[in-house]
Amino acid sequence: MTATDRAPAQATQRFVLRQLIAAEWAAGIFGLRLFMACVAIATFMMGAVWALGDGLSTMLGRGGATFLGGDVAVTMTNVPLSEETRDAIAGLGVLSEVAELRSSAQFEDGRAAVEVKGVDALYPLYGSVRVGSARDLADVLAEEGAHPGAVVEPSLLARTGAEVGDVFRLGDRTFTIADTLILEPDRLSAGRFMVGPRVLVRLDVLQDSGLIQRGSLAEYRYRVKDEAGAPELLVEAVRALRPDYGWEFETPSDAGDVVLRTVDRTTTFLGMAGIAAFAIGLSGAWAAAKAWVRRRARTIALYRLSGATPGMVLALHAAIMAMASAAGLALGLAASAAVAAPLLEAITAWLNVAWSAADVLTQLLSVAGIFAIGLIGAGLLALSGAARIAPGAAMRSGDAPLRADPRHASIAVGFLTASLAAAALSLPIPGLAGLATLGLGVAVGLLTLAAGALARLVARRRPRSFIGGVVVQSLGDTGNTATRAIAVGIGIFGVTAIVAAQSSLTRALTDEIPDRAPALVLLDVQPAQVAAIEDRIERDPGLSGLQSSPFMRMTLTAVNGVPVEQALIRQDKSWVIEGDRSFAWSAEPTGAELLAGDWWAPDYSGPPLISPEEDLMEAFDLKVGDTMTYSVLGRSFTSEVVNIRKEYHRTMRPEFLMLASPDPFRGAPHTWIMSLQGENDIAVDSLIRDLAADYPNITAIDARRIVAQLRDVISGATFASFLIAALLVVAGALSLAALVASDVDSRRQEALVFSLVGASRREVAIARLTEAAAIGLIAAVIGGLTGGVGGYFAVTAALRIDWQPGLAALILPVALGIAASVAAGIVGGLGAAPRGRGQLIRQLTG
Amino acid sequence: MALVLDLADGAQRAQAAPAETVVSLTQARLSYPSPEGEVSVLRGIDIQLAAGEITAVTGPSGSGKSSLIAVIGGLEKATGGDVDVLGVDLNQASESVRTNLRRRDIGIVFQSFHLIPAMTAVQNAALPMVLAGETEAETAAARMLDRVGLGHRLTHRPSALSGGEQQRVAIARAFAASPRLVLADEPTGNLDQATGDEVVRVMFDLVRETGASMLLVTHDPALAEKCDRTIAIDSGLVRT
Ligand SMILES: Nc1ncnc2c1ncn2[C@@H]1O[C@H](COP(=O)(O)OP(=O)(O)OP(=O)(O)O)[C@@H](O)[C@H]1O
Ligand SMILES: [Mg+2]
Repeated sequence: MTATDRAPAQATQRFVLRQLIAAEWAAGIFGLRLFMACVAIATFMMGAVWALGDGLSTMLGRGGATFLGGDVAVTMTNVPLSEETRDAIAGLGVLSEVAELRSSAQFEDGRAAVEVKGVDALYPLYGSVRVGSARDLADVLAEEGAHPGAVVEPSLLARTGAEVGDVFRLGDRTFTIADTLILEPDRLSAGRFMVGPRVLVRLDVLQDSGLIQRGSLAEYRYRVKDEAGAPELLVEAVRALRPDYGWEFETPSDAGDVVLRTVDRTTTFLGMAGIAAFAIGLSGAWAAAKAWVRRRARTIALYRLSGATPGMVLALHAAIMAMASAAGLALGLAASAAVAAPLLEAITAWLNVAWSAADVLTQLLSVAGIFAIGLIGAGLLALSGAARIAPGAAMRSGDAPLRADPRHASIAVGFLTASLAAAALSLPIPGLAGLATLGLGVAVGLLTLAAGALARLVARRRPRSFIGGVVVQSLGDTGNTATRAIAVGIGIFGVTAIVAAQSSLTRALTDEIPDRAPALVLLDVQPAQVAAIEDRIERDPGLSGLQSSPFMRMTLTAVNGVPVEQALIRQDKSWVIEGDRSFAWSAEPTGAELLAGDWWAPDYSGPPLISPEEDLMEAFDLKVGDTMTYSVLGRSFTSEVVNIRKEYHRTMRPEFLMLASPDPFRGAPHTWIMSLQGENDIAVDSLIRDLAADYPNITAIDARRIVAQLRDVISGATFASFLIAALLVVAGALSLAALVASDVDSRRQEALVFSLVGASRREVAIARLTEAAAIGLIAAVIGGLTGGVGGYFAVTAALRIDWQPGLAALILPVALGIAASVAAGIVGGLGAAPRGRGQLIRQLTG
Repeated sequence: MALVLDLADGAQRAQAAPAETVVSLTQARLSYPSPEGEVSVLRGIDIQLAAGEITAVTGPSGSGKSSLIAVIGGLEKATGGDVDVLGVDLNQASESVRTNLRRRDIGIVFQSFHLIPAMTAVQNAALPMVLAGETEAETAAARMLDRVGLGHRLTHRPSALSGGEQQRVAIARAFAASPRLVLADEPTGNLDQATGDEVVRVMFDLVRETGASMLLVTHDPALAEKCDRTIAIDSGLVRT
């Protein structure tokens, strides 16, 4: 190209620029491959985890009323609401009733545990039920045939070999399988794992099926839909009705707590990983861009020599960088969509909710937007120096120092801050946003301070040796030392925080897997059947560990006469006062360890004495001799605490929050629950068959399958979080590589001079290694510490789980610090020096 | 081998070869590997340089002048023949012995100045002395810069110096450690006539003052004329 005498017209400028871009873009993008890799991997991670996390949480958040089944819901266990209360509620809004119970369905050949749900004509108040034939649920259930219709989950058909049109029995009634159940909008309202496939029938039919006997474990849910446009008022009005026997009161915000907890934790973890990937990706991209600009310094000087204006140089390089960014972003987004979509599909299918591609797309686009803003900042920071390369640098081998224009630098910092803020604000959990940004800010601040201190400390030394001299000269450059420390430190910060969180999350998730699970749990055993079944089990050498007890529910209302809401001293134990909790009576000691007090005598028959579990003690600071008021089957009791039982975690055996002495409960209608272990599957399977034949009212829950499923889900989540942490380490390594590469380029010239004046390769390598080790040490210590602290807060405050960072969180920062130093030292020291016969002289004379 | 070890201890000044011969090449050969096989660049060179002598090397482009400098400076190992520089057999010497030689006894100047951008003029000039572990490296470097007329530019970085000034920093660096042999490969090639003349004058003065020997590659017949003698190279051979 030629320089014109006068300033060329703008059109000419644009034409020239287009030509330059056409000539340079391919080589430019090739030169920016490390940059693209950093952008792509960070976009991929951020996009995938955010699309997943945000998709799940917006879906769950927006679906609150749908999951709950109404704007407010109350649940009664065992006993339905009184007519009076029911009518009062019906007067406040649109009321829909459902009843849920576990049962077993009798097919032509065999039985299967099912989760039966009876629904009224108004069900569902929110969302819609999807059935295989795409008809309306109401139409399907209203169909008149020989038998009432039932809509069943496809897995039931798969398990029993039955087909639509076949019949099965529930209790005393026969049902026709009318359709398959594809989506149940309020599935999460159960708030627990399902023991079997869902079966939907009409509520009135269920009520006279004989299945719901007094004392059987049915849950009656009353959902109310607001029609006045003020759901808060409705909630308050329903709450005000609170009857003196307990009910479980729920609003959309507490729908499906148990399942959501896992999803929520995972989502939060994903958000954090996204922020970390973002910060690491940006710092890597910036380092890579800087390396590229430095490599092109000579070319840029030649452009300037031939008459290109600084603006044109900036525009040309910005255009090439924009292309590389776009390519990296597109690659990352495509990959994240490809990963997130099937994962979302699988997770939502499991949760029985719908997801929308639009949500994911919006999320991915916002990730791209946020990243683009950050890249503008990082790119400007890297490019600014290029515009300032003087034409004369061409005559001085183009090695003028690249210093960013302070004006550009402040604009760039503005962009970077904006993108970080945008990233933080679009995080699924707002509290986490502040935390992540704060942590990052503190880490960067500390790294800058430490690097500055190191630079000042070093600059005052006057070393005599060559190695000392090189180290001092290089580390004494505050700006350079700080940027290197920050770039390495951010990576270590993010990786440490995420690995620590991942390790804690894995532990928390595995803690949910029962470690001594029974093989079989029998529900709805009638008191009269207990003795015979116990006998059958004890005679079978293949079965062991039988435990049987009455299975009742109670609601706590007061402690020492103080209403439970006020008596509660531990908010994290508030679940003990939410709705009805497990309750049983026992004449004999259960074998549980006592933390305080003694058991009642086996023949005690006075007014009830109670034995609360550890959790209750913690919730109210209970002591032996205190009194508790509770309601069982609609009757209120006030009893004295005579002992406190130790809690047994993760056994998946029936555990009772409260035990009482036998009277008067043993006379009340209730069923028994039994659990047992099997020496082998054959013994357990044959017991299931015998029970099905002799006692059709009993629901046998095959815990072996449930535990296996749980294990699958949790190991899936664990593996995913591990994968994310591993990917983050890869992103960190990439950004490190970018940094090392940018170092090598600036070192090449120095290494050449050092060999010329008589420094050995060993000396150069040691000097570089010392220098890189100092920076690696700062980055590892500060990045590791801040990452650890950040991880701690994230784990305890955001994930709300125990802090169990594991060894990896300790080793990784150190390992990454060492890797960074050694790589930088070796590549910058040994690698930068020309190698091979004829190379040194070529470069010296070139 | 024993000789080499002695040399490494810095005892080489009193050893070997007649005192007046600082460089002695016998049938020195050098070839470079290339995709088409070995390229023979020096094809049997015989040269003797005496102490205090300034020798010009001339020859067409690509004849092997820079390669000759590289072999004598220990930057490349000859692939054949004997290379004896300042009493050290460079073909036998280890990398560290050759490095040490450059640090203390040989100063090299190229057409490109090869200064470290991040270092000031005085830091650049002091580099070989710092490497040699000398205590007053920067003082000596400052003195040398003053000697080449850059006393007022000590703390400037290369990017703030003109081409001639940068080359004078490179020359100060080459002479700072009081070398016994100076190798200069077209030192004025990047400079205008007047600046080049000035640089050459400084170099000649310094060589004469220190009693060092100098091998000067140049395309300029007038400059070759000023040297004590001229060696013409063509196609890797000394033309007689
Ligand atoms: N690394 C190498 N591999 C192959 N051939 C090389 C290599 N380096 C130099 N040559 C060849 O060796 C020959 C001598 O190169 P040299 O640089 O010594 O020439 P020169 O006389 O200094 O030339 P000039 O006057 O142009 O500087 C040239 O033909 C060159 O192409
Ligand atoms: Mg040459």
